[in-house]
Amino acid sequence: MAKVVILGAGISGHVAASHLRRKLGKEHKVVVVSPNGNYQWVPSNIWVGIGRMKPKDLLFPLAPLYKKKGIGFIRGKAVTFHPEGDTENSSPYVNIEYVLGEDKGKREKVTYDYLINATGPRLAFNLTEGLLPATNKAYSVCTYDHAEHAWKGLQELIVSMKKGQKVKILIGTGHAKATCQGAAFEYILNVEQELRRHKVRDMAEITWIANEHKLGDFGMDGMLLTYGSNIMKSNEMVEMIFEDRGIKWILGAGVHKIEDGVAHYENLEGEYKSEDYDFAMLIPAFTGHGFKAYNKDNDDITEKLFKGFMIVDADYTAKPYEQWSVQDWPETYQNPSYANIFAPGIAFAPPHAISKPRVSKNGTAISPSPPRTGMPSGITAKLVADNIIDLIQGKSKELHHKGSMGNMGAACIASAGYGMTSGSGVSITTYPIVPDFKKYPDTHGRKLGKTFGEIGLAGHWLKLALHYAFLYKAKMKPFWWLIPE
Amino acid sequence: MVRRISKYKKFVMGNPVIQFFKFLWLSLKILIIVAGGHGGTRKVS
Ligand SMILES: Cc1cc2nc3c(=O)[nH]c(=O)nc-3n(C[C@H](O)[C@H](O)[C@H](O)COP(=O)(O)OP(=O)(O)OC[C@H]3O[C@@H](n4cnc5c(N)ncnc54)[C@H](O)[C@@H]3O)c2cc1C
Repeated sequence: MAKVVILGAGISGHVAASHLRRKLGKEHKVVVVSPNGNYQWVPSNIWVGIGRMKPKDLLFPLAPLYKKKGIGFIRGKAVTFHPEGDTENSSPYVNIEYVLGEDKGKREKVTYDYLINATGPRLAFNLTEGLLPATNKAYSVCTYDHAEHAWKGLQELIVSMKKGQKVKILIGTGHAKATCQGAAFEYILNVEQELRRHKVRDMAEITWIANEHKLGDFGMDGMLLTYGSNIMKSNEMVEMIFEDRGIKWILGAGVHKIEDGVAHYENLEGEYKSEDYDFAMLIPAFTGHGFKAYNKDNDDITEKLFKGFMIVDADYTAKPYEQWSVQDWPETYQNPSYANIFAPGIAFAPPHAISKPRVSKNGTAISPSPPRTGMPSGITAKLVADNIIDLIQGKSKELHHKGSMGNMGAACIASAGYGMTSGSGVSITTYPIVPDFKKYPDTHGRKLGKTFGEIGLAGHWLKLALHYAFLYKAKMKPFWWLIPE
Repeated sequence: MVRRISKYKKFVMGNPVIQFFKFLWLSLKILIIVAGGHGGTRKVS
């Protein structure tokens, strides 16, 4: 009998748990540890942030599902890692802290044979002074409750615009090293369309602020893509969309301080500037959770497991951008020191950024961190689950399932406005996610044709279809496994 | 010079009939990219 413990019930944790449960016999235990009792389809938070969906439309409670499917569930959070056990017991374990009910605050050792760390990012609002969701008129859409607050703020703004108040809206990244530009991009286009729907568009000045060097970088170094019969750069595509929607932009901006209605930033020129706003949505920095790890003698071995996020089979040697290679990126997401620990999704430490790192004239690093979107999070979780299944079933000691972001495509369907007939979406696919400059030297490291963009109503339908399909899959309804990650 | 979206393009982007076919085409194309699979980038050691 083997016991697999999964930390986190986001996209990657839940995908891993559901595949493990489906494919492993009942004699093996699958246990999920998560502080949040709900599964949420994070991409649809954008629509909560504009009031077109309610949190209940994109979440469901995990406990009843896990009970029905025979997956153990602990409402708690991992605190410390003990991959060699301790002096009392040699079984590896994680120390978890209960977050609910009578046991709240109580700690327990949860032993495992295999551990999947799928804890995603810590939303590090504290790294930007004054940035806290729903304070200083600045909001977030990273979780459903943040998005609900954002909608409240936006709703109040719309009321005041209807009364004749002119306003300034600022949307983008709230830290010099933030990632997830795609989510902010979706939100700015959705807000713009909602203002038109409420007939107050002319009352608002909408500005994009980001740590990107060029529009459309998305933390992926931009891309060269096919758009209809044209070949264009992603920055040209996004410029075209912003121009069409009357959205202004500020680039190379490292936001470092938020005051009530004022965002302070440094730009790549080294200038310190500020931008006023009446409503802002700024994505915070994403960091690791600051977990600690100990060996059997209780010595601190955190550096064997974590480098901010979890260390996996990547090449972490520091080297200049010109020497970065697609081979630096992990393939199996296995920790090199402890072969029974894996970290798919956002939880693994990337070897380096994807976008070219840039520093301001004052030496401040201002450029996007590498994104790990839903699709690679799901794919990496599934391959980790498949490798663990092979190991448990004794099929192999080698890990056969591999999936480097340098040999994987991703589809990013960015909502550009909600509505069955008036909606819009910007559909972008990239192959591979991490550019392979050796394989595709003339097309900025990516394969044209498989890297393409499309704008229109179909994109909105597709995003909505994915919302329903992935919630169906997450609820493990009949034949859920036929829907790809 | 920033590119502009022409009136005709806007019509195509919002026309439900044209977009229905685009939807089918996009779904298929994305499925092919996803189903195209994934793998490693290093030689097996
Ligand atoms: C607003 C928004 C829109 C997005 N839109 C898209 C999109 O359109 N398409 C796309 O592909 N991607 C999108 N993304 C990115 C996508 O949501 C992420 O790639 C994905 O959620 C990452 O999954 P994950 O499981 O690695 O992390 P998460 O989804 O963050 O899950 C982490 C889980 O770990 C749990 N956890 C945290 N701490 C602990 C702990 N100490 N112990 C145990 N559990 C813990 C959390 O509660 C959570 O359940 C979007 C992201 C945002 C924020």
